[in-house]
Amino acid sequence: MTTTTTTYRDNITPVPRTGTLYDVIDIILDRGMVIDVFLRVSLVGIEILKVDIRIVIASVDTYLRFAEACNRLDLEADTRSRTVPELFGGGGGGMVRKAGEQGAKKAVESGERKAKKAATGAKKAAGGARDKVKSALPGSD
Amino acid sequence: MTQQVYTYGIVRAGHRLPRPATGIGAPPERLRLLDVGPLSAVVSGAPAGLLARRRDLLAHQRTLLTLSREGPVLPMRFGSVAPDEETLRRQLADAPDEKLRTLERLDGRVEMNLKALVVEGDLAELLRQDAHLRRLHHESRTRPGYENSVRLGQAVAESLTRRATRAATRTVQQVRGLTEASAPGPTVEGCALNLSFLLPRENESRFRDAVERAAAEHAGRTELRVSGPLPCFSFTEPRRPPAGRARPRPRRAAPAAATSEGRS
Repeated sequence: MTTTTTTYRDNITPVPRTGTLYDVIDIILDRGMVIDVFLRVSLVGIEILKVDIRIVIASVDTYLRFAEACNRLDLEADTRSRTVPELFGGGGGGMVRKAGEQGAKKAVESGERKAKKAATGAKKAAGGARDKVKSALPGSD
Repeated sequence: MTQQVYTYGIVRAGHRLPRPATGIGAPPERLRLLDVGPLSAVVSGAPAGLLARRRDLLAHQRTLLTLSREGPVLPMRFGSVAPDEETLRRQLADAPDEKLRTLERLDGRVEMNLKALVVEGDLAELLRQDAHLRRLHHESRTRPGYENSVRLGQAVAESLTRRATRAATRTVQQVRGLTEASAPGPTVEGCALNLSFLLPRENESRFRDAVERAAAEHAGRTELRVSGPLPCFSFTEPRRPPAGRARPRPRRAAPAAATSEGRS
């Protein structure tokens, strides 16, 4: 399996950043007029210069991490008290909806704190389990 | 003796070189103009062992931006080296009208790049809004296993990407009026949108403000990054078909390729 590096920076407020090379490296390296008969510089070693992205989306590792994160959420408790139609079914539920969102946010935040502590261990366990499953299913990857 | 020539861009004849007139390399190579008819190429010596180093990438970009203060510049891709001066002269002499038309199009314009990045954010919110995700979540909880986890995780990734694409599309609509053209950037993993705009220099701050407002609106759900002004790297063709003809690409979970929306 390909290993991917994942950046967790969701606690940072996303503000537009200006003029860093990393945000435009794709444009500088890949756009601009090209003349066929010219020589082109070697792009050896360029992999270190990449657009700084938040998450690598298309990877099984990421999928598994998302699934883990979802499974740590306690949605049941939240949706029992406020049904989904109440929350999103229109019908003048603005305040309700807001309250629901805030409650949920709090729940998630505290959940996240706990989850972070357990994350390292859980990840290892998940990785181990994954390997077992994979070795049990030859050719499934 | 033949000597390789590093080429920064093409300008109209009579364009003034910046001071200090230095480009890439360490120590920096001296810039000079190579005139052919109504056009000049901005060139320098090609340093030995030229690589895409951070220092030289920045120098290439800075040189082009400084040049553009004196008039339009048709930027070459980083690392364009003519095997010798004669080859470069021949290229300059080829289709000069086309190059002049492109220069006219770029006169007083800058490129701004907008990227919309997928953000994980609050997964609980995402699940509450998506019955399909909740179903997969339920399945994954009641029947835990590799396959169910991958299915859930992939659906989450798709949902996050769709959310970023929606935010990007809205933002593009909001800034469209300030711009003259757009061109998709290369595919960047994790980017739901990578789109460059050509706009009059005087619209730059309004463009930036509009993106910043949109970024605040979508904070925590999608990250919007604006970069620029850049040399007009993405607009070097004389008559680009209007961006509106770009076909919408099928939306996939996978790193969403650059999309180009129609101009209004």
